[in-house]
Amino acid sequence: MEIVTPQAAAILQADSLTKQVAFDHETLTILDDVSFKLPVASTLAIVGASGSGKSTLLGLLAGLDTPTRGCVTLAGQRLDGLDEDGLARLRAENVGFVFQSFQLLGALTALDNVALPLELIGRSDARRVAESLLARVGLGGRLLHRPRELSGGEQQRVALARAFATRPKLLFADEPTGNLDTQTGVRVVDLLFELNAEAATTLVLVTHDERLAARCACKLRLAAGRVLERAGL
Amino acid sequence: MNTSGINGDGQLKNWGIAWRWLKRDLTAGELTVMALALIIAIAAMSSVGFFTDRVRQALVQEADQLLAADLVVNADRQIPPAFLEEAQRRSLHIGGIATFPSMARGGERAQLVTVKAVSASYPLRGSVKLSRDGDEVTVAGGPKAGEAWADARLYDALDLKPGAGIKVGDKSFVLAGIVAREPDGAMDIYNFIPRLLINDTDLPATRLIQPGSRVRYRLLLAGEHNAVDSMRLWLKANLQRGQRIEDVKEARPEVKISLERAERFLRLSALVSVFLAAAAIALAARRYVERHLDSVALLRTLGMTQRGIINLFIRQYALLALVSVTAGLSIGWCAQFALANALSGMFDTVLPPAGPLPALAGAGIGLTLLFGFCLPPLLRLRNVSPLRVLRRDATPQGNAPLAFALGAATLAGLIVWQAGDAKLAGLALGGLLGTVGSAALVAWSLIFALPRLPLPASVGWRFGLRNVSRRRGLSVAQIVALSLGFMALMLLTVVRGDLLGAWDKSVPADAPNRFIINIQPEQRADIAKAFTEAQLPAPTFAPMVRARLTSINGRTMAPESLDDEKARRLVEREFNLSWGESLRADNKLVAGRVLADTEPGWSVEEGIAKTLHIQVGDKLTYDIAGTPYTAPVLSLRKVDWDSFRVNFFVVGNRALLENQPASYVTSFHLPEAHSAFASSLTHSFVNLTVIDVSAILKEVRGILGKALSAVEVVFIFSVLAGLAVLYAATLATHDERKQEAAILRTLGASSKTVRQAASAELLLIGGLSGLLAAGAALGIGAVAAQQLFNLPASMSWWLPLVGAVAGAGAARLAAAPLLSRVLATPPLRALR
Repeated sequence: MEIVTPQAAAILQADSLTKQVAFDHETLTILDDVSFKLPVASTLAIVGASGSGKSTLLGLLAGLDTPTRGCVTLAGQRLDGLDEDGLARLRAENVGFVFQSFQLLGALTALDNVALPLELIGRSDARRVAESLLARVGLGGRLLHRPRELSGGEQQRVALARAFATRPKLLFADEPTGNLDTQTGVRVVDLLFELNAEAATTLVLVTHDERLAARCACKLRLAAGRVLERAGL
Repeated sequence: MNTSGINGDGQLKNWGIAWRWLKRDLTAGELTVMALALIIAIAAMSSVGFFTDRVRQALVQEADQLLAADLVVNADRQIPPAFLEEAQRRSLHIGGIATFPSMARGGERAQLVTVKAVSASYPLRGSVKLSRDGDEVTVAGGPKAGEAWADARLYDALDLKPGAGIKVGDKSFVLAGIVAREPDGAMDIYNFIPRLLINDTDLPATRLIQPGSRVRYRLLLAGEHNAVDSMRLWLKANLQRGQRIEDVKEARPEVKISLERAERFLRLSALVSVFLAAAAIALAARRYVERHLDSVALLRTLGMTQRGIINLFIRQYALLALVSVTAGLSIGWCAQFALANALSGMFDTVLPPAGPLPALAGAGIGLTLLFGFCLPPLLRLRNVSPLRVLRRDATPQGNAPLAFALGAATLAGLIVWQAGDAKLAGLALGGLLGTVGSAALVAWSLIFALPRLPLPASVGWRFGLRNVSRRRGLSVAQIVALSLGFMALMLLTVVRGDLLGAWDKSVPADAPNRFIINIQPEQRADIAKAFTEAQLPAPTFAPMVRARLTSINGRTMAPESLDDEKARRLVEREFNLSWGESLRADNKLVAGRVLADTEPGWSVEEGIAKTLHIQVGDKLTYDIAGTPYTAPVLSLRKVDWDSFRVNFFVVGNRALLENQPASYVTSFHLPEAHSAFASSLTHSFVNLTVIDVSAILKEVRGILGKALSAVEVVFIFSVLAGLAVLYAATLATHDERKQEAAILRTLGASSKTVRQAASAELLLIGGLSGLLAAGAALGIGAVAAQQLFNLPASMSWWLPLVGAVAGAGAARLAAAPLLSRVLATPPLRALR
């Protein structure tokens, strides 16, 4: 494991990230040579049209997928030196997620879903913390409801509570309002930024919504896998 | 143009759309699981069906070899030419035997023998085995003209060696062979006089066949199954007095019992694959519907009616059935060929080809299973609301009671059809319902109790165990299906082993293999002494009084007044009555009370009582040496004919028979090494007749051995069907588990934690299923032993423990490939 020097101390750093996928006899470049550094507690919006490589970039940055070339450094650790369990440990300690399709576990109640990441790091107060977080997102009365018994907005709020449960250094949000109506989307985004501010978390947000992107301090615009525009980085 | 394939009424236009959907679903993996389960089920069942059909036919054929033919007519006069013409017309192979007693002279001695004159074609089934230098050698056909074959007893009695001359009537023969076994020899064990086989072309030259001679004629017939069956029917309609059809099942109770048991073992094995198939298909159908809720909601928004939805899926199922039945039957057909090939050496005869019935049955079972288990979930699809495209919570609830009722009715119907026997069907149904009911009850109790129990500290184990109660319905379905599957497999392995062991023990290795008859009362002490001197245990002597049944409740028994042929024969012949111990160890009282020494009364074997319609309290009159003796029937007994001990159909009390003229009979086990003892006994006591029943014991053990091998082969298919259940059970949670593992890893769970979570859930479900299955298998086995096979229940008490461990291990192992795949896939790809 390589520790990066303090002067380069960014919470997240991408160096020449490239992702290629082989289709039949053709190699498709989804992401091409993307590099940037993101300071602690800042907010970054990754924007672009559908198929521009936004979600792929997010997956690579969060260590959910491996790049073909290049390297990601997250919270001072190079991801290319870590195996799957090392990556999982790093995520457990530093990272939270919010997905477009919520990705809640259908068999678990709202409370169990939020308590899960806390239990994974061995917190004995997992359920108490989960309860207060659910109350914070306005779902104190729906603790024992399963995801299928909740509306889309409510499910995303459970996902937000889960994402902030471990007080992560970094929060990755992939189109968090993509599955919600405008009004609900606005409420969820407001909540996301509020929680982010309270926890001083670094936020990386993938969106095609320019208004949402405008709420972030930094912006990275992708087109056909290449960086088209960068602001604040 | 309407591209949705839906007409104005929201109905499907044609089958084309159903076919296209089926193809798409199959390639997309949507229907593959169900098709696979169905194909495995049909292949397993049809191969079992084809094979058991062939084995059954072979067993019957081998049993027929006890007759040396497929069909035998026994007559006290020459066989009418019309019988022969009819047999020729049906292209049957024809043979003949004439047997009669005569004196044979060799050297300076003479001996009463049973002459058996056989036709050139004898035997039509099986073959004669001759003893040569201590080995049994199979020979084709019977003796040539001018030659005679005798059994070892005649060589002993006349002190002759092969090659010596022997004279029967006016004709001299050369003794050319020592008969070790005749294919139809076992049928004649009570023909204890030494036997001499000659060619029937020599018969006229003996000048022994005169008017009034006591000759028994046998017409042997063999040929194609249908021709034999139709000939049997024709004969039944044309038999005259003194003629009867010999049937191996009627002839010897031991052989009959063995055949019936063999058939039951095979049927039970075939039934097991029905259970397994049902469990696999039920699990697969559930998943299929779950995966189709979204697409059905979309179809509904496109305007398809509920009827249209049902039509689409019924058609899809029908096409699926067509594909699966064709594939399943083809695989089943090929598999049974491979099986028959592998086992070709097991049977003396070539396995006959399977009939068309197993194919029809396989297809029928496949269709019934598919529709019986898929219709209730299908009705759930019918109720999918179009709103589901917007709100995932708009999911219709399944109708569990309907699904259960239809599934149970389907299985019940199949079982009754397959069992073909009320007792077997009752046991299978009881076993099925008992297993399903208790498994469901225990599973629900576990789901209720689990959150209230202290759970392990490890997050993976805790998460996995909690998942069992979180996935309520699915956990119950999995536990019930796996219990059923494991139970079936355990029935086929351990419980089957217990049953076969009990069966084998019922004919123990030291079962009596010699009978001595005609022992005079005063000889008993000397004979017992001879036994002791030969270091053999002294035998127990049973008295035997010759008598004829003359009336029941004062009604005279005239043979011609009885409709039942068996009853007629019983009345025609003399009975051997006995007295002695009030109730022997191998007899069981089924009605009435034990005989007392002083109270006159009879105890009758239940089978003969049934044939002659005798009940406790009826008054039977026996004619003993010209004097009638009347007494009431005090009890009915069940006799263990397997024991090969001396047993009597009718036993009287001591006071009634003690003073009647009696000879004594005994049975004993003579080890191979002491076989000379039998000859020395007959030399010392010339009036004694020693009957060797080791040949029939060998026949019985042979049938048992073959049934065992056949069931073992059937078992392989049931294991495959069992694996299908396991596979279906794993697949039932496949998608959920895949997504769950991806989310857990995204949230930072290590691969160890993910493995622990999956292991905890699978080990608990598998272990509990194994435990429940073991209990059910032991229970069913115990009832089967007592009720079906009339054997003592011998329990493998270790089975629950081993069942739980094996069940847990199997469930975990079955999910191992999936888990490895999930863990090797980057979480993002799995989430997408």
